[in-house]
Amino acid sequence: MSSATWRNVFTYNKYTQIAARALRASLKEEERVAAEKRGVTILRYQRWENGHGGPMTYLYPPEDAAPKKPAV
Amino acid sequence: MLARRTLGRIASQPQVLGAAPSQARNMATLREIELRLKSVRNIEKITKSMKMIASTKLAKAQRAMQAGKEYGLANAELFKHASPEETGKRKLFIVVSSDKGLCGGIHSSVSKATRREFAEKGKVEEDSPIMVIGDKSKAQLSRALPKNIVMSFNQIGRDIPTFADAAGVADLILTSDVKYDSIAIVYNKFVSAISYEPAIIEVEPEKLLKEAPGFRAYEMEDDVTRDLSEFTLANAIYAALVEAHACEQSARRNAMDNASKNASDMINRLTMQYNRGRQAAITNELVDIITGASAL
Repeated sequence: MSSATWRNVFTYNKYTQIAARALRASLKEEERVAAEKRGVTILRYQRWENGHGGPMTYLYPPEDAAPKKPAV
Repeated sequence: MLARRTLGRIASQPQVLGAAPSQARNMATLREIELRLKSVRNIEKITKSMKMIASTKLAKAQRAMQAGKEYGLANAELFKHASPEETGKRKLFIVVSSDKGLCGGIHSSVSKATRREFAEKGKVEEDSPIMVIGDKSKAQLSRALPKNIVMSFNQIGRDIPTFADAAGVADLILTSDVKYDSIAIVYNKFVSAISYEPAIIEVEPEKLLKEAPGFRAYEMEDDVTRDLSEFTLANAIYAALVEAHACEQSARRNAMDNASKNASDMINRLTMQYNRGRQAAITNELVDIITGASAL
């Protein structure tokens, strides 16, 4: 593999997160449960224009089965 | 003398309109003191339990902080060898705090540190962008420097921050089209279990790293340099997040500890007042009875 084309699509951090997710999913049951906790993120962000915030969006939207988070 | 006493007895019946006789006031306030005592006792229970919870969380947070600091040290090593000659004035400030309150001065200390950086003339450009992690600091900074905020994050800090959080934040920064010369992360540094202080980590973006004189010694390709700059940003953010989380837990524990102490002081004082009031009322009644008996 001379040149990897993933660099055009996403950053190195996303690359490591994907690889980490694959690794965690491949562990044995007990270790997997402990490792899954280290990969959890419920980050939300909003862009600001001129002193006013935009809408809050989830970085990784939770599935509908999960309980809804209250709006900020 | 008798007249004064009987006057006192009439006054002790609370139906008198308009008058505020001292005996009636004492009887009424006895109930008030009882109510206050009950509510302060409840508050003391709550703050004590919050303190316990914060202490257990602090132990866990400190362990995570020790582990997370290693990431930050690796960064520092790189930047020590490849420090830039001069940094531009347009700094991106990443302010790290959290969403929850009742933790002492955590949020205001980072907000004040950021405002101090802006207040120094010529140190940073006037419209340097700011990104805030945590709702409490967001509220404070949106009042102080509203035009500078470009993005805000929340839902970090509920539990120990993970590298996934830091990577998410770093990616959002890198993919947004915000212009900056260098990055400064403002966070609370853990000095000890009872004190913290605001501190700043400087991170160099890719351009600055390439131009740094010592960097050529590493002999890296451009692609790898870009990866490295992205990763160092996530590293630095992660180190700041875990340390700020540990500071927050220790500050909450101290704040709840002080609140519990104050509450127990208040309980002692109110109990004294209540007992004195109760005994005064009993004494007055006895005096009335004895006076009445002696009059017959």
